[in-house]
Amino acid sequence: MRSPTTAPALRLDGLAKTFGEKIAVDHVELTVPRGSFYGLVGPNGAGKTTALSMAVGLLRPDAGRALVDGVDVWQEPLRARRLMGVLPDGLAMPERLTGRELLTYLGQLHGLSAGEADRRADELLAVMELDGSAERTLVVDYSTGMRKKIGLATALLHAPRLLVLDEPLEAVDPVSAATIKTILKRFVGHGGSVLLSSHVMALVEELCDTVAVMARGRVVAEGPLGAVRGDRSLEETFVGLVGVTVGGGEGLSWLAS
Amino acid sequence: MVGVLIQMKLAVLRHSTTDAKRALNGLGYSAGICLAVATLVLAFLDFSHPRLLMDLLAVTFALWALGWMAGPIFAGEPPLNGEHFHRQPVPRRTLATGLLAAALVAVTTAITLLAFCALVVFAARLSWVAVVVSVPAVVLLLLLVVLLSRVVTLLFRMLSKSRLGGVVTATVTAAMVSLASFSWILVIGVSLLLEYGFPPAFSTVVRALPSSWSLIAVEAAGRGDWAGTAGPLLALAVVVAALFLAWSALLGPQRMDRPVVRGSSARRAARRGPLFQGDQGAIYLKELRTWWRDPVRTQAIVMGPAFAVITALFPLIFGFTAFLPFVGAAGALMAAATCANSYGQDGTALWLTLTVPGKEKADVRARQLAWLTVFGPLTLALTLAGCLLHGDATLVPWALAATLAALGGGSGLLAWVSVTALVPGPDPHKSKNSPMDHGDVTGQSFLMFFLVTLAISPALGVAWAGHALDLPALLWASVPVALLAGVLCHVALGSAAARTLRDKGPELLHLMRSGKPAAAAEETGEEAGTSPFETMSGKHQALMWSAMAVGVLGLFPQGLVPLGIKLSGSPAKVWFLALHVPEPWQWPVIAVMVAIGLAGFWSAYLVYRAAAPSPSSPAPTASPASASSPPTSVTSSPASPGS
Repeated sequence: MRSPTTAPALRLDGLAKTFGEKIAVDHVELTVPRGSFYGLVGPNGAGKTTALSMAVGLLRPDAGRALVDGVDVWQEPLRARRLMGVLPDGLAMPERLTGRELLTYLGQLHGLSAGEADRRADELLAVMELDGSAERTLVVDYSTGMRKKIGLATALLHAPRLLVLDEPLEAVDPVSAATIKTILKRFVGHGGSVLLSSHVMALVEELCDTVAVMARGRVVAEGPLGAVRGDRSLEETFVGLVGVTVGGGEGLSWLAS
Repeated sequence: MVGVLIQMKLAVLRHSTTDAKRALNGLGYSAGICLAVATLVLAFLDFSHPRLLMDLLAVTFALWALGWMAGPIFAGEPPLNGEHFHRQPVPRRTLATGLLAAALVAVTTAITLLAFCALVVFAARLSWVAVVVSVPAVVLLLLLVVLLSRVVTLLFRMLSKSRLGGVVTATVTAAMVSLASFSWILVIGVSLLLEYGFPPAFSTVVRALPSSWSLIAVEAAGRGDWAGTAGPLLALAVVVAALFLAWSALLGPQRMDRPVVRGSSARRAARRGPLFQGDQGAIYLKELRTWWRDPVRTQAIVMGPAFAVITALFPLIFGFTAFLPFVGAAGALMAAATCANSYGQDGTALWLTLTVPGKEKADVRARQLAWLTVFGPLTLALTLAGCLLHGDATLVPWALAATLAALGGGSGLLAWVSVTALVPGPDPHKSKNSPMDHGDVTGQSFLMFFLVTLAISPALGVAWAGHALDLPALLWASVPVALLAGVLCHVALGSAAARTLRDKGPELLHLMRSGKPAAAAEETGEEAGTSPFETMSGKHQALMWSAMAVGVLGLFPQGLVPLGIKLSGSPAKVWFLALHVPEPWQWPVIAVMVAIGLAGFWSAYLVYRAAAPSPSSPAPTASPASASSPPTSVTSSPASPGS
């Protein structure tokens, strides 16, 4: 095993997953360098969520490895998971807790002292604007945006070194989105690494320094943002790489008449 | 519209049926056909008591209606419901017609129709005019039960969004299940009825039910009483029409607000009492809060005890009080049977357990403790109250032993079943407005029911030995034996559940995410699925469940219960075969029944063992890299910048 000081923040090594007949992820290779803000983009059904789920230990791969700081997620789950903060897309939470109850509960499970857990919960709720009038609202009654924010708070709570976020800003209002972007930039600025997936190209161009493009279960391009997009916009490069023509120009005549 | 909806329903069923489900359905259908044939046969019988046949048929039809009403509470919502279409510009009346037609295209409806043909048989014995009348009568009766089922489902769904509504729903359901479970009195107690008939008040009540009106019409037609024929048929048609209108009105988007439960204030969010220390304490607190705040859990809290109390009240009609002390034990048994989908109910929230490392054991234990906290004191108090009401001290050790064993056995088994036979359903935040929209837990509840009863039997065996040998010390020893069995179950099965959770956590999460177990194709290099229930073929499952049914029927209603009655010296024969044979044959019949029951359980176990993966196979947690397809050297094309 490579020494943890030189290993990349996250490395996916030949991860593969097949559901029945469908090859969801086809031997994906990815390297998230330390201190990078890494964007994973791809059309719907490209295998982003499946790849990320395997990377963080939520879905057992058919083949391949995922290494966090050189630690194999599937061989040494206890060590690897301590290094990561995870935000999956659209999954349930302990629904009948308030945001603060959820954070103190997870703080206790992560082994934080009572005082420390309270302090972090306080700060996170304030930053995410989930205190005040939302203080006594149960997670089950949260809006989609609020769910994203509490999810992000749970990912940050134990001060991980790597954040793996699946569609972190979807359905989040612009003000909260700006807050979250600032938090993430600060996190990277202080040496943390972020891997986020999105299909909003503008967001990835704004935040990320490194990008990978996934299509049909494979990584079709990976590298520094400038190198991948060249002198075009990321969106144009993306459409070119994914190999589709933009539809909508013809057909649907009944809609235009 | 009608054709489209029927096709759609068939498509949904085609895509959602797994092998295991098919086997369970097959078993259910066979049982249903048996019941339908029994209903038909009933109509052919001759009774000395003049009005008995009509009374029996009326009660049977009422029970069929009851079954239709209670079914969806366990089986979840029907495959197509109004919610699916409320954004489509379809008039509600049209939609209701289409959904009704789709509802009629079902095996269950066909079986019920077969049973209701008893009415045609009944009519054929009267006159050919009665036969003519019986045809629309059967159609109306069928429409009545299907519509009742749909309307009750929608009403329950509205109610169960609040905790108070949960209490109401659970009590009504418990009463229905309890009533239906007493239908076997009818089957076995026919000899008693033959002699005395039903009490007049009872027949008046039963005949007043709409499910009896088509019967009354047919009977009147047989007598040539035309007013008596048209009246009930018209009334039934009005009820059916009213139900249809009510249903179409309820089909639209929900207008009743869901009462919002509030959490604790910032100051009280973190409880740090001695009970809530450490990992297990934190999860325990989360579980207790969930039990208190979730209407679905409120329903579960009320269901078990309500079932037990109502079940104890029924035999009082016959002057049979010996069930009273066991009300707590029955409550614990039912509570275990209805709470075994703990992880399934939480849905994909399991991801948090998987990302906070090494807390699987604490998670399982905390869930077990929370269940014990909710049901332990409650069922022990019920046992105490039942014993006091019964007033006879001889049944106290039996009752206490049964309650303790049910609690301990239940807490162990529900942890184990919740991970090995998990039933996926929609995530709680997606079904918060439709709590009835859950996975079909009927099979799981039955399984738990059987297993917990098994866990109780050693303690009751000791009690029986003490009684038979006239050794009070041995009789009372059943209480510590029950405690020991309970603690063993709690500890050992809880640990087994934690191991399964640790080894198979990602597979369970996938099951809940996708609603179906990981397909065999994607399980290369490891045992498919988490339990033999998933790997077992449909035929084996059917075999196992049938053997289990034989086991339960032989061991409990026909074996242990008459044994208890005989031991208690009660002269009541009630409805047990063994007590109706001449005295010298009673013990042998009980022994044979117990033997049949045990043989049933044993063969069920053998079938299960045969299908279970052999323990000598390599550990399933082996490196995922050992999978079949070796990683190719470089698959992702390196960046081709700009191009």
